[in-house]
Amino acid sequence: MTPALELSSIEGGYEPGLPILRGASLAVAPGEIVALLGPNGAGKSTLVKAAAGLVPIWSGQVFLNGRDITRTPAHRMVQEGLGFVPQTENIFANLSVLENLQLAAALVPKDRRGELSKMFALFPDLERLRKLPAGRLSGGQRQMLAVARALVASPSVLMLDEPSAGLSPKLIGVVFERLQAVREAGVTILLVEQNVKAALAIADRAAVLVEGRERLVGAAADLAQDPRLAGLYLGAGLEAA
Amino acid sequence: MLQLLADGLVVGSVIALGAVGLTLTYSILRFANFGQGEFLTWGAYLAVTALGFVVAVTGGGVMQPIGPFSFGWELLVAMVIAAALTAGLALLVDWLLFQRLRARGAAITLVIASFGAALALRNLLQFLYGTLPEYYTREIQIAIRLVPRDVLGGLRITPDQLLVIGMTGAVVLGLHLLLTRTTLGRAMRATAMNPALARVAGVDVAAVIRATWIIGAALAAVAGVFAGLVGQIRPGLGFELLLPLFAAAILGGIGSVWGAVLGGFIVGLAESFSVPIFGAEYRAATAFLVLIAILLLRPNGLFGEKP
Repeated sequence: MTPALELSSIEGGYEPGLPILRGASLAVAPGEIVALLGPNGAGKSTLVKAAAGLVPIWSGQVFLNGRDITRTPAHRMVQEGLGFVPQTENIFANLSVLENLQLAAALVPKDRRGELSKMFALFPDLERLRKLPAGRLSGGQRQMLAVARALVASPSVLMLDEPSAGLSPKLIGVVFERLQAVREAGVTILLVEQNVKAALAIADRAAVLVEGRERLVGAAADLAQDPRLAGLYLGAGLEAA
Repeated sequence: MLQLLADGLVVGSVIALGAVGLTLTYSILRFANFGQGEFLTWGAYLAVTALGFVVAVTGGGVMQPIGPFSFGWELLVAMVIAAALTAGLALLVDWLLFQRLRARGAAITLVIASFGAALALRNLLQFLYGTLPEYYTREIQIAIRLVPRDVLGGLRITPDQLLVIGMTGAVVLGLHLLLTRTTLGRAMRATAMNPALARVAGVDVAAVIRATWIIGAALAAVAGVFAGLVGQIRPGLGFELLLPLFAAAILGGIGSVWGAVLGGFIVGLAESFSVPIFGAEYRAATAFLVLIAILLLRPNGLFGEKP
């Protein structure tokens, strides 16, 4: 089966000559939740940003449902069907909740435009707060809005960069539960996470990125038991672990 | 008293329109454009040329005033043409200069470059049009007495001045609707807040930047035409308004459209009320005083967000 999202030997970084991604590869099957794990500085965020068109890709390819979208301008990715929720500053604080969603919806062709009522059904808090400037939302509500903003463009694949960052354990549970609902609605999810336990609990599969390359890929349930996982986080190579 | 208020509102209208353009380019392009004043001057002069053209083509060289105003419909057409041409000029300057610097330069590079662009634009304009004052019309307008002399000193105002205040209100309202009700407006506000997220959300930031130049320069051109309508058209017109423009934009809180409008009127009124207090020769210094006072009391301006 053609992967929904395929990253093939990606090399890239912000500055020429200073690679952060060193041949990273990853495939996400349609309908899957894949967690992208790894220690700080491994290049997890950079990899999803590169796929989203925000970080230059020097070599390698990105395929979305079999279509090569490498180096497509970031603003065209939404139309291609690739959604991205950055880790921080992922909502327009000066726009109201409703305007955040209206803008995102207006930027995709009509047939791809998600209904706001469906978003509000998925995130009931947002409907209540729709007239509020998004900058006044709490951390959890912001995260919900950020996900809703991406979903309203009906992506086939949604990439999220640490949606649990800065949230209480209870809120992390709520956000991840919503992500399950999003997946059940047919959206494929690539999830960058520092919170390994929570991520492996909802992911089907996971990949561990170290120094810009995937070092360990497997079913989430297996990786949760794999002693090598902790070793990679502690800085040991696979051989040592 | 009332007269000073009315005079202040007329001057404030011109400043407000120019300051809105300044604040828009600042919030989206992230630099203070010292060339904004020159767009006012170019707008005023391009309208002179366009007016000559429209009158020659349609009226056989004569402009018939509409009702109580000093000008005919030809000037309104000329203003639209001038706004379009000034927008084109802004896009050209962006393409030649700012776009290249944006890719690699810091904000200060763009600010200094805008100084250079302003000088080039002003000198080019003097080369093309000369330094003698121009007028859209030589009609003498009789001011209407709206309030008798024994009430707060009375109020006399020309129909042209009233129209300038009214049209400024209409233009600002139109801009407000654009920014809050349309996808372009929301995309502009989103880009001002967070350009990287805007791109991720599907906003074509390059198109938003072009729209910002078009709107900012067109507003400046309209302000220039208004300034020329109630005064003289001189090559220094925009440069002399540059400081009040900045004072208004900073006063309102840089980046805030309504702040710039309010700031424009406050600066206009302050200038107007300063005349009987300090004398007309210190009128221009008032903008400085207002700016200093605001920076001391409220560094983020009236509607500015805390950094």
